[in-house]
Amino acid sequence: MCSGVEVSAAIEVRDLCFRYSDGSPALQGASFTIAEGECVGLVGPNGAGKSTLLLHLNGLLPETFPGEGSVLVGGVRVGPDTLMEVRRKVGLLFQDPNDQLFCPTVWEDVAFGPQQLGLDEGEVRGRVRRALATAGIPGFEKRAPHHLSAGEKRRVCLAGVLACDPSVLVLDEPTSSLDPRGRRELKALLRQIPITKLIATHDLELVVELCSRVIVLDGGKVEVQGPTIEVLSDEELMLRHSLERPHALRHVHPHGPEASS
Amino acid sequence: MRHDFLDRYSRLDSPIHRSSAAVKLVAAMALVVGTALLPPSGPIPLATISLLLIAVAVASRVPWWFLVRRILLLEPFVLGVAALALFGPGGWRLFLFLIAKSTVCLSTMVLLANTTPFSDLLRVLKSARVPSLLLTTMSLMYRYVFVLLDEAGRMKRARASRTFSRQRALAWQTTATVVSQLFIRSSERADRIWAAMCARGWR
Amino acid sequence: MHIPDGFLDAKTAVAAGVLAATGLGVALRHAQHHLPPRRVPLLGLAAAFVFAAQMINFPVAGGTSGHLVGAVLVAVLLGPSAAVVVMSAVLVVQCLMFADGGLSAIGANILNMGLLGGAGGWAIYHGVSRTVKGLFGQVLAATFAAWCSTVLAAVACAGELATSRTVSWSVALPAMAGIHMLIGVGEGLITALVLVAIARTRPELVQPDPAIEARQTYGAVVAYGVLIAAGLALFASPLASRWPDGLDRTAELLGFKERATAPILAAPIPEYEMPGVQGSALATSLAGVVGTLIVFVLAWWLARVLVPHRVRGEGRESDTTGQGP
Repeated sequence: MCSGVEVSAAIEVRDLCFRYSDGSPALQGASFTIAEGECVGLVGPNGAGKSTLLLHLNGLLPETFPGEGSVLVGGVRVGPDTLMEVRRKVGLLFQDPNDQLFCPTVWEDVAFGPQQLGLDEGEVRGRVRRALATAGIPGFEKRAPHHLSAGEKRRVCLAGVLACDPSVLVLDEPTSSLDPRGRRELKALLRQIPITKLIATHDLELVVELCSRVIVLDGGKVEVQGPTIEVLSDEELMLRHSLERPHALRHVHPHGPEASS
Repeated sequence: MRHDFLDRYSRLDSPIHRSSAAVKLVAAMALVVGTALLPPSGPIPLATISLLLIAVAVASRVPWWFLVRRILLLEPFVLGVAALALFGPGGWRLFLFLIAKSTVCLSTMVLLANTTPFSDLLRVLKSARVPSLLLTTMSLMYRYVFVLLDEAGRMKRARASRTFSRQRALAWQTTATVVSQLFIRSSERADRIWAAMCARGWR
Repeated sequence: MHIPDGFLDAKTAVAAGVLAATGLGVALRHAQHHLPPRRVPLLGLAAAFVFAAQMINFPVAGGTSGHLVGAVLVAVLLGPSAAVVVMSAVLVVQCLMFADGGLSAIGANILNMGLLGGAGGWAIYHGVSRTVKGLFGQVLAATFAAWCSTVLAAVACAGELATSRTVSWSVALPAMAGIHMLIGVGEGLITALVLVAIARTRPELVQPDPAIEARQTYGAVVAYGVLIAAGLALFASPLASRWPDGLDRTAELLGFKERATAPILAAPIPEYEMPGVQGSALATSLAGVVGTLIVFVLAWWLARVLVPHRVRGEGRESDTTGQGP
């Protein structure tokens, strides 16, 4: 932790608790911080509460405030009066691009966010063009979603989120159902975008390749967090949380020289 | 997606495709209403309109067999209703006239549907001040009908691979389960879409 | 039952269009005010569901198969106004994207399948399910309502064809109503099976929505009732009244009536004049009433089969009467 200059973290989660409607606990006091510019991975077994946690970062949960614990985005506390601001700042990419890509054409979908922000037509058009270019799909404006491949749909979703000019990108399983090439392309794309990123994923290789830090969520709590290689190459730790050591780190000793990079 | 055949030719490049959706919709409406209201008469008016439609079809570059197939798919309904007229005072001549009129109107709409992306038609309806709830419903319907058809297809195939009896009752029960699952999944998906809309600032 | 272009004359198409537009307007207004915002996407998905479900085959015999129309199913699950909006959206998209259903007949189609099928079917469902409680009552009500809505829509369709002078009423009514009494059985059966399947997996989806049960619905329901009654009066009662001629006169005044009388249809349709028809009208009505009662009994039996546990306090005493179940 640095002393001196008071810089608000991109995301700060403190003692977040949440119960499902049937009463079962989803989050039990999760706490972590993500600094500006970081790329952090969020891993954990199914049912650990990853998706639930991500929905809190955008104010989509809890359905009625106040919940238990707090989430701060760029120093702003997520609450009923800051929802719009938080939703602009946090660009959430859903797991199934079909859920997020709900407009009949690519242009309309990417323009949705800027239009909801109340921007004028010229600004909207500019943002859409830039977002599509950043996502690597310029010229896709008139395409219909049902004609796109899974990878292309994901790029459209990414463009739609980028068009809102977020300060943090939160991605839920970005590489699921992508073929190896789609995965490679998405990885390269994410590397190029300098925004703060939080990636929730089962794809541990992706975490090794993109994330400097990793958070392990299990049973609704943050069990471990630390530098990626150090955490993910600890086989015992991984197995304890129903994960496994990624193939890329099979020769790395958790406390060896490479781990501290 | 397997069902994109439903929308395969509406985005071709041709002088017809390039023309404004509003113009095409208004022209189709005028043609359909005018033809539907034609009193029984000689063949000349209908023949003229048919020639016009054929010219437009050729200019649109949509494969003729595709257009014919779409028209034939719907023709039985025309024949069925027209057949009722056979038993009235109009007889054969009315029957044939009705079929001719209806088929010309049908062909006009088939041409319209296959030269204009539905999203363009939605935009025309929006500028015509159609209520937004209806527009949103139609827009989401268009967007998700392909997703649902895919899901339904996958579920049917999964069921079929574990069905070893040809009993009709079982088939009905199975199919009803598929339909019910389709609704439940649609309902859950609607929740997720709502979340996605809110996440990008929907009020 | 989508009426293609060219079978309805101007006055019928316009009259049906006015009724349909009014009904749709009421439905949209009601849905906008009383549907929670998070249900808005559900309308679109329900429309996509209806379209997809309509394409699914239920094998009957030989190569034929039955299909769900879905108006009553949607009404049971989402309420009357949502059903009207959803069915209208489906019909408009089917018309514009697939040429299924004529553009000039869209008003009549929305009136028949949206208002009569959706709102009318809901009214029947609501009445029956309030009288007979529990899931059993809901399944019974939905089955019966689905059959009724199919027949109602068919009767209105026949009426529209008759007032257009395209088909004579004495041919259209038996043909349309007769066929759809049979088709309606399939609709009722499929609706029941699907409803039970949903109730088994996600019972909360089948529970009446408290928002829809609220008092505000009754305003909309009254409006639907008036429109449905008007529709049936205009199109389905040429035997009882001289409406088509009244409609003709109104149309003349408003400038809709075509000047050129068709040379093919020289004589006016006879059954409006002949007193002998009164006899067959009575017979038709009796047949309709008997048919409806039979279907209600069948629906009751079906609901018993699908929902085995009856509400407590009903039928338990039969064990002691010696007459057996």
